[in-house]
Amino acid sequence: MSEHQSASLVKTLRPFHVWALGVGIVLVGEYMGWNFTAAKGGILGSLLAMLVAGTMYVMISLCASELGSATKLAGGPYDWARLFIGPGAAAIVGLAVYMEYIALEAADAIVVAVIAQSIFPELQVFPVTLLVIALLTFINYRGVVAALTLNFVLTMIAFIAIVAFFFATASGTVDIHPEYLFQGALPNGMIGLFAALQFGPWFYLGIEGAAMCAEECKHPSRAVPLGQQAGMITLLIGAAMTLYLCSVLIPADLLGVSVYPLFEAAQNSKISIFIAALGLGTFLTCIASANGCVCDSSRSWFALSRDKYVSSWFSAVHPRYNTPYRAVIFTMPVAIGFAFSGFLDQVITFSIISGLLCYVLIPFSLIRFRRLFPETTSKVRPFVGPLQPYIAYFAIAISIIILSTLFWGYKYNLIFAFVFYGIAYFYFSHRHSSSTAENNWAEIGWPLPKGSENTGIEKEVIGVGND
Amino acid sequence: MEMTKQAIESNYYRKLNRDTGLIIGMLALLVGVEGFVLYRILLETWAISGNFFYLYGIFAGLIIVIESIGCLSVRKSIQNHMFEFRYYD
Repeated sequence: MSEHQSASLVKTLRPFHVWALGVGIVLVGEYMGWNFTAAKGGILGSLLAMLVAGTMYVMISLCASELGSATKLAGGPYDWARLFIGPGAAAIVGLAVYMEYIALEAADAIVVAVIAQSIFPELQVFPVTLLVIALLTFINYRGVVAALTLNFVLTMIAFIAIVAFFFATASGTVDIHPEYLFQGALPNGMIGLFAALQFGPWFYLGIEGAAMCAEECKHPSRAVPLGQQAGMITLLIGAAMTLYLCSVLIPADLLGVSVYPLFEAAQNSKISIFIAALGLGTFLTCIASANGCVCDSSRSWFALSRDKYVSSWFSAVHPRYNTPYRAVIFTMPVAIGFAFSGFLDQVITFSIISGLLCYVLIPFSLIRFRRLFPETTSKVRPFVGPLQPYIAYFAIAISIIILSTLFWGYKYNLIFAFVFYGIAYFYFSHRHSSSTAENNWAEIGWPLPKGSENTGIEKEVIGVGND
Repeated sequence: MEMTKQAIESNYYRKLNRDTGLIIGMLALLVGVEGFVLYRILLETWAISGNFFYLYGIFAGLIIVIESIGCLSVRKSIQNHMFEFRYYD
């Protein structure tokens, strides 16, 4: 084993880093993207989509908190599926997470470039996009602490901008138009309520990624649940504030097609400080999201590589910076390829479908985890999520309902995704079913799983961090 | 030695209370904001939303209740393991 491969990820992250990773990736969805719910279902459709998706994500974040604090592995959802379901599901989740975050990174970098060009017209989108991707890759190459501390600052500024704007509006400082709420309440009838659900995940898409830094946390059993739940509450607050602000400041027909709805709402308020704050927030949140996506996608690729699902060359850890530097650098050409493929909208839709697939498999991993390891000890399950496994089943049901709504308008994307992941499932199931590696639960201090003689879990557990 | 142990325990409980206060504050903000937004939107659109307002009540209730119970579980977990894993050193 080389020096690079024997180095391990540094364990320095704290709960606010977990918060910054989760909220940093997602908050961009509250600055833009969520408003397509209004195009489908009006204000009432948006509100219902926000609440239904919020319920699903609260349950998924509780599943992720329990699984992340138990396994403490960098692969997050991929590792949970690998340990508790099997290699086929692991491959699906690993690839889905990678696709989800890398596509989002590409989209974020382009938006940053477009915003920069709107401020400085002499700039070109292509080189600025390259620069943003390269810069964020370099920051993540140098160290996870610096990358996530930067995310914390950027995300906090963007969140405070929303909170300040909301309280100014709620207190009457900003002139609002309550009549917009009724005028755009339900333009497409009751079917619109259901159709709006497909864009509901935009409010929270990617929060499960907060648990992917568990292997780099100083105390993962505290940092992951605390950081992730604080992040989930932050997003719920941000979503409700965003929906209200945009609904009372932008007519519903314009809200549904707005590119930067929060910034547009600030412009309609005609108060310069909020226009500046929300404009800055839009810009910063795109950078924070792209930065978090580099972190999460590289960890997913690193975990896939460590278990030889992809070339093990990517599993090297930098001897000085303790980062999975080859996996980090590899995000750059892939993100650039996605950004300039000409099919970015299709890639983004594919990433949403990938995310929803994860939301079926994460709660299922939790159900399997509870069945395999029913005992609650400090080592196996330091954080015991409440109301399990009932909320896991409920989360799966909501995920499938939202996935089914994508059949309206995204039928071919859905079929392509199922074919792609179906092939991945059978290929990796076959490839890893012949693996001679045996379980090594004792290495992480866990007992043998219940009924281990016939569970069919045949993967080796390696590189696990401890408290 | 005894004083040191007491000081450590006191420090740990102070930091646990800080974590608890943070979460309680955020939960209170969540309840206030969700309540305000639901009230304003449903009030203005009552002629339409009055037929199915319970849907909003059910899902908002689920969010608040499940998240609150989740936060209580996080606090309980930290309290149970804070000395064992030396969370606040």
